[in-house]
Amino acid sequence: MKVYEESGCFDPHSLTDCQELMGLPGATPTNCHNSLEDTLNVSSYNHHHHEDASAALDMEPHQHYLLDNTTNNNSHMIPYLTQDLPYDQSHWESFNVVPSSSSPEAAAAAAAAGAYTPTPDLLGLFHLPRCSFLPNPSISFETTPGSPSVVYDPLFHLNLPPQPPVFRELLQSLPHGYTVPADDKDAAGIGGLYHDGDNGIIQFTRDISMAGRAKDRDKAGKTTKHFATERERRVHLNDKYQALRTMVPSPTKNDRASIVGDAIDYIKELLGTVRELQLLVDKKRCGQDRSKRLKTEDAASAADAGDVEFKSLGDPDQCYNTSLRSSWLQRKSKDSEVDVRIVDDEVTIKLVQRKKINCLLFVSRLLDELQLDLLHVAGGNIGDYYSFLFNTKIYEGSSVYACAIANKLIDVVDRQYAAAPPTSSTSL
Amino acid sequence: MGRRKLEDDDDNNNSKEFKSKNLQAERRRRQKLSDRLLTLRSLVPIITNMNKATIIDDAITYIQELQKTSQVLSEQLLEMEGSSEESVMPMKLEIDVAQHDMKKCGIKEEVKVSNIDGNKFLIKIIVEKKRGCFTQLIEAMNYLGFELSETNVTTFSGAMLFSSCVHGKYGDTLMVEHIEELLSEMMRSMKTSSQSAIELGNTN
Repeated sequence: MKVYEESGCFDPHSLTDCQELMGLPGATPTNCHNSLEDTLNVSSYNHHHHEDASAALDMEPHQHYLLDNTTNNNSHMIPYLTQDLPYDQSHWESFNVVPSSSSPEAAAAAAAAGAYTPTPDLLGLFHLPRCSFLPNPSISFETTPGSPSVVYDPLFHLNLPPQPPVFRELLQSLPHGYTVPADDKDAAGIGGLYHDGDNGIIQFTRDISMAGRAKDRDKAGKTTKHFATERERRVHLNDKYQALRTMVPSPTKNDRASIVGDAIDYIKELLGTVRELQLLVDKKRCGQDRSKRLKTEDAASAADAGDVEFKSLGDPDQCYNTSLRSSWLQRKSKDSEVDVRIVDDEVTIKLVQRKKINCLLFVSRLLDELQLDLLHVAGGNIGDYYSFLFNTKIYEGSSVYACAIANKLIDVVDRQYAAAPPTSSTSL
Repeated sequence: MGRRKLEDDDDNNNSKEFKSKNLQAERRRRQKLSDRLLTLRSLVPIITNMNKATIIDDAITYIQELQKTSQVLSEQLLEMEGSSEESVMPMKLEIDVAQHDMKKCGIKEEVKVSNIDGNKFLIKIIVEKKRGCFTQLIEAMNYLGFELSETNVTTFSGAMLFSSCVHGKYGDTLMVEHIEELLSEMMRSMKTSSQSAIELGNTN
């Protein structure tokens, strides 16, 4: 509650009156003003009316708390508003409304907003910096097709910490989701009232000069599709790049080209892993089928040995899965690097780790766990690092796959590295 | 793209002298990025439009899909592994085969330690190869306070040759014979413990 009061946000209750006002397309500005002041001067509001309003707004239940505070806010709002009474067209341009990441139709609203002159001033008076847009059309106040549609986000008053951009949100913000607004020139010209990613508070009229410049340029450059602002589009694009980066297991540099490069490598790796797993599943299934068949055949006819052999040879279910499994993975972390190559049932593991602990013990334990038979080990201390090469063979019947080995290995090694106390170098 | 326009304007307006150097570098950078995006596009079986933003989105979706598929498959594999009974047999067979091979080739078990310069030793051990014996060896080394600077392990004919250049971490220098003794004792205990494990397995 406190947040709501102190922030001086616009009064949701008074917005309902605005709706009524906006319902009169021919309303003159002065009329709007007077009714507005009347509305705001109401100290005791009608609870019944309030309930209608909330029903109309279709707000979430907790918002009813906020509506109960309207009396306090009315007095709060009045000095705020009286300052802005003398208005002109510039006010409307200063009221820059931009859709948040999840509302395509708001673009239409923003675009059309510039066209409708009498009413916008009201909204400007309200100083709707806390407004954002919601995809829920039931909250929008629409009258005529050309009138500005303001959608009220009930949650915004709470100054919630900004949520990290969820992928779905980003999807919805794709350019092809925007509709073509009625009037294009002003739409492009409106600058950015947008959500500042850092602290959840919208910056109001951030770059008016920027908006002006953008308007001129966009008029020439952009064609039929319109984004509410170029900056917003860039922010969204950057968010998408970051989302892509988080999916990759070992991201390197943070610039766009290397993010895409890492993604390419990861996709190739995933394709290989899926293929490998599919192969293993098929082989396993083959093996199970064969053993089942052998069992039933043994049980059925032990006497006729020749027949059994003949049957197994000509059996249509028999799968000759002769393809060799081959996979190659790398995993890098801050202090260690793991390289796993599998050809059929031989696994070659390379491990490089900054010298701190002797990881041989942990690696060897892990290899035992993973049912890998150690054939050859070579390695030791090279300068600042330990470097090892393990040649192993997979025990019959086990179906480990490259990705699992690599991940577990780097995990174990990193954990041990982190757990070991930092020692001063006592190398001989 | 509006962004490109902005940058070009800045270049043109601000510094004519630096324009050529920066412009080329910027062009190369953009070329690199667009090449990579093309590659990404070629990998992903996308369904939507082909502009910069959607290719990234589609890549994300595709990666998620692949991750899900691989998870499903690995779970399936785990299930199948749980239900199969193949893995129990090989262990006993291996061990018998190993002993047989070693004796055939005349390889004897051995522990040899030589001193190189102060606290450094060269240790050579030939032991019968068993599951987990390498781990036991390394544990033994740790126990003795040795830090392995170079290690080499090879296996042949059922025997394992462990050769390592170690140096003692702890201050006091050990005598060669002492180390040999300790190691032989450890190996013997290893052998007996593994043998009892095999016997347990046999009875089961």
